[in-house]
Formats: sequence, structure tokens, C-alpha cells
Amino acid sequence: VIKRLLIANRGEIAIRIIRACRELGVESVAVYSEADKHAPHAVAADRAVCIGPGPLRDSYLSIANIVRAATAVDADSVHPGYGFLSEQAAFADACERAGLVFVGPPSSVIARMGSKIEARRLMQSVGVPVVPGQEPDDQSDEGVRRAVDRVGLPVLIKASAGGGGKGMRRVMDAHEIVDAVQGARREAMSAFGEGTLYVERLIERPRHIEVQILADRHGHTVHLFERECSVQRRHQKVIEESPSPVLTSGLRGRITDAAMQAAAAVGYRNAGTVEFLLDRPEAADGGPSFYFLEMNTRLQVEHPVTEEVTGLDLVRAQLIVASGEPIPWRNPPTQRGHAIEGRIYAEDPTRGFLPQAGRVLLYREPRSPGVRIDSGIAEGAEVSVHYDPLLAKVIASAESREVARVRLTAALRDFPILGVRTNIPFLLRILDDPRFRAGDIDTAFLDGEGSSLAEPVSLEPPAFVLAAMTAAAGSAGAPAAQMEPRGAWDPWQQLRDWRS
Amino acid sequence: MGSVAAAARLAELTDVAEEKASVTPLAPGMFSVDLGGKREIVYVAGPPTDQWAFWNGHVFHVEGVPEPLPQSEPGHRRARVAQTLSAPMPATVIAVLVAAGNRVKKGETVVLLEAMKMELPIRSLSDGTIAAVRCREGELVTAGQVLIEMQ
Repeated sequence: VIKRLLIANRGEIAIRIIRACRELGVESVAVYSEADKHAPHAVAADRAVCIGPGPLRDSYLSIANIVRAATAVDADSVHPGYGFLSEQAAFADACERAGLVFVGPPSSVIARMGSKIEARRLMQSVGVPVVPGQEPDDQSDEGVRRAVDRVGLPVLIKASAGGGGKGMRRVMDAHEIVDAVQGARREAMSAFGEGTLYVERLIERPRHIEVQILADRHGHTVHLFERECSVQRRHQKVIEESPSPVLTSGLRGRITDAAMQAAAAVGYRNAGTVEFLLDRPEAADGGPSFYFLEMNTRLQVEHPVTEEVTGLDLVRAQLIVASGEPIPWRNPPTQRGHAIEGRIYAEDPTRGFLPQAGRVLLYREPRSPGVRIDSGIAEGAEVSVHYDPLLAKVIASAESREVARVRLTAALRDFPILGVRTNIPFLLRILDDPRFRAGDIDTAFLDGEGSSLAEPVSLEPPAFVLAAMTAAAGSAGAPAAQMEPRGAWDPWQQLRDWRS
Repeated sequence: MGSVAAAARLAELTDVAEEKASVTPLAPGMFSVDLGGKREIVYVAGPPTDQWAFWNGHVFHVEGVPEPLPQSEPGHRRARVAQTLSAPMPATVIAVLVAAGNRVKKGETVVLLEAMKMELPIRSLSDGTIAAVRCREGELVTAGQVLIEMQ
């Protein structure tokens, strides 16, 4: 049984896990880099341990530092969150060897699924459809080029160790091949330390559908239905939802069956996600309409949409299953209503989505029924160039997709974040787009037809905004008492003061 | 002393009479602006020279003191201007793909930066010649630092 859990992550997911610990009566231990000493996750946990300087490889990516911290505070278990070391078999293995319960699958499963090439071969062997492709033994530029020739353009060149769009290049034309191979390899080496590449036929304008799985040590495996994550920019998910607006119950049955088959084939345990590409019906041409893409052997960023439609707590279930207990639900999960998540990134959509860094001067989360916010920042916190620019996730749930869409829109319009630019205006334009409203989005939309949604709108501050800015500038040097909320004093009196 | 009366400014910018316009602080950084009956909630943060505002999902960022725009003479902008490419944010230089004297085409990648684990290509904004390379591979650069000078 887990009593003291070290959380090997930062930001919103660390805080999400700390909350689950509180509910279960598990003591939480945060880790932080020197740059994160005052970060919300470091402050929120029952204990916090410094694991090194700001750069990732010296702190959050240092297996030695994290295992040492876990041993030093006498933790009995480690939750890796997502990203960072969560899909590093070497990390799970180091935890296992140090006698720590790793909240995730065994290291051998992570290793098998972490090699995208091996995962493809395994799925093929059990009859789960995969995208037609080649895994060249000859990894030279020329060898990969020949594999591209065999598959036929257009293709995707992908890193076997890849994920999150890193180490991946799309090739439409023969003259782009060498640049794409070298770029993918360089990015893969830098992000994963491993540059093996493979080639897949490019499925044009597919939808991204993934199935949530949970398995315990007693031979029980359940799925928690699908999430649709087709709203992507350069392979980075932006908006996710459940259920998918296009799955019929027949197709849902087939795709969840394939996910269960995939989990069984690899001997899966704990929470995981099987990702599929759903081909356009007219392109599928009688062949399989969905293909296995990869298996993510960890909790996903977008897990809250599943929690909202099933009413279940995935992180709590992860901790219970990792303790050796059976899956904590008696009845099979059901899917009810609709949930949509928008990811708020510190990035400027009008300037090529450049990640933004700086101090958060003002941050006020909206509060309303059916709106959940998972966040990892606070007013006054520093958004650092060292880390992922995800600031918060806003999840709206309702009885229907349309009500959830409107609810998410209202929440984002009421979510001021100042000091760093965010993608909130971009999210609002996607939510309002006719294609999104109709549920007619594929993974190519934001990079193609929808790329205009990121274009700057030249909106000058309206008069009432300028007036508020004037008022704020006028009170900037004034005594703090003048900034007291309404009720503490007469606002009309205040206006006279400004004029004096 | 408050610099300008907010309500007076509001009246000046709109046709709402000054006595009907008001700006009421509700919480630190949060204002209710009344335009003669219709109210809007606006959030404001930052010093007067670097102010941010949020309204209804829109963000406004006003830097520096607004100055009258200098009148540029016609044709002046057409003069051949040396161009510089600078780092948009703090980053590590992972590759310098050009050297002084190289000719480059518009859109050609000249420097590869890495920030937040993502590659960030710096591309030439026009056809031209590299006048000077002002960064090295492996160097940590700050936002705004000049990387390449072009002619």
C-alpha cells in the first residue's frame, strides 16, 4: 500500500496528483529544480525536495537525482506524471530496483511500447491494423530514403523513440527527403538520445482517436472509451473531447476492442492510452478505417475529459492499482454527456506560436458549474524558458457537445492571464469556427485551412479598456488602501480622488 | 495624484457624458467600466509604461509612452536598409547554417535555435547576403539578441 508518493514532475499534473494523494490520505512529496523553488507544485505538496538546477537534464530528467530524492525522504512510490521521464523504461527500472513502486506499467512494457517500431510489429502480430510502412535496417540517409521510395510519397518520417511530434517530419516531395531525415534524426537525438527512424505512409486528413485503458494485477482490464484529439497544431494537441463527434456505436465497439487487444498483447498494467488514426470514410476504400498509431504508457494530459464523462478519477485509480489492489469500480464504466478541454499555452499565436516567458502579473481562474481547471501557475509565478509552455487546462462538461462548447467559450472569455501572451484568443476562434462547431475537424485542419485562425486580429483597445488602463495607471502610485475591493469604500469618492 | 481622470478620458473617447461614465475598481487589477448603463469588466496589470489589459478573451498590451508617429518622407522607406535577424526568445543556438558572404533566399533557414525542447528555425525575411554572423553554435542567446546581420 502506498503511503508516501514522490511526484517526479512539475506544473499542473504534479498538482493534480497531489490532490489525489490528499483524498487517499497519501503523503505527497514534490520535487523541484532551483528555478522552481517557489513554483505552485513545490508549495502545494506535503514535502518538497530540490533535485538540481533549472535545466531539465540536471533536474526533472535526472533519474539518479530523483531516485536519490525518493530514497532520502523515504518515499515508497513514484508517480512520473506525463512527459519528462514518464515513458523512460530506465526510470521505471531504476525505481523498481530501488524498491519503489512505480505508478505505471512494468519497465519491460514501457520499453516495448517506447520503441514505436517494436510496438508496430507487436500490433501487427495480434491483428491490430497499423499504418502501412517500413522499418529500415539501414539507418543511413540513403537507407531511409530507399524506405521512403518503397512506401511511396507522401510519407511521415518518424523517430522510433518519438512522441509529441518530436523527431517527426512530413515529406510531400522527393527533394525534401534528405533534409527531413536529418532534421528528424537530429531532433530525436536531442529529445530522446536515440535517432532510429521509420517511415509510414501519410494518412491524409485523418482524425486522432485514442482509447483510455486501465489494467490491474488481477487480470482485469477495462477501457474508459475514446477521446478525440484531432484539433492539433504540428502534432501538438490543442483541444480534446469525449465522446468523439463521429464514432458510431459500431465503430466505437471495434476501436475499443482493438485497444483492449493491444493492452492484452503487451501485458499492460495501470493507466495507458492506445492512439489510433481514423481514416476518412471515402479514403478508407473498404480497408481498415482505423490504424494503431502508438501506445502511451502513462497518464495523458487530456485525461480529464475522460474523467468528466465517466465520473471516475483516473489518478486515484492509478494509485490504487499500483498498490496491488483491483480496479476500484464494480460496474463497467459508462460514458455520459460531453466534455471538451482547451489547453492554455504560454505562446503567441500571432507570432508563429513562439513560447512566451515572463512573470504572470495577473491570473484569475473562472469559476462556474461544469467548468474544471487543472493549472500549475499562480499570480506572480514565473513562466520559465526551461519548461513546457502548458499553463492550464480548462475542461467544460455538459449534457451535449454544443452546451460544452458554449460553456468552454464562456470560461475562456472569463480567464484573464496577463504578463505573458497565451493562446486563449486562438482557442476561442477555433471553438467558434464552423468546422469545429460541426465536429468536422481532422488533424490537418489547424495547419492548413484553419491556419488563418492564428492570424492577428488588429483589435485596438476599446475606449472602456483604455479607461480602465488609465484608472490602473493613476492608482499605481497610490496607497494600497485605494485598491481595496468595492465595499470597503465608496467608489464615487474614489473617482473624485482621481480627479483631484 | 492620479494622472488623468479615468472617467474624463472615457468621456473624451466616447460620446458618453462625463458624469454618466465611471470606472470602479472591484478587486486588485479588476475594473468595472460603466458607459452610461452598459458595464464591461476589464482586468489590468503592469506598470503604466508596460500595461496589459484583458477583456472578454482579448488581451491588449501597451508598451512605452505613446508618441506621435514621425512623419516619414515618401520614398524614405524604400532606401536599402540593412536587416538583422534576432532571437525571439531566450534559446540555445543549435546550428548556424550560413557564413558571412553567403547569399540566401527569402524563407531560407539561417540559424536553428532550441527552446523549450523544440527546434525554432530562424529564417531570412528577404533575399540577400549575410553581412555578419553574430552567434556561435552552443551559445545561449537572450531575447532580442542579434544573431545575423544581412545586406
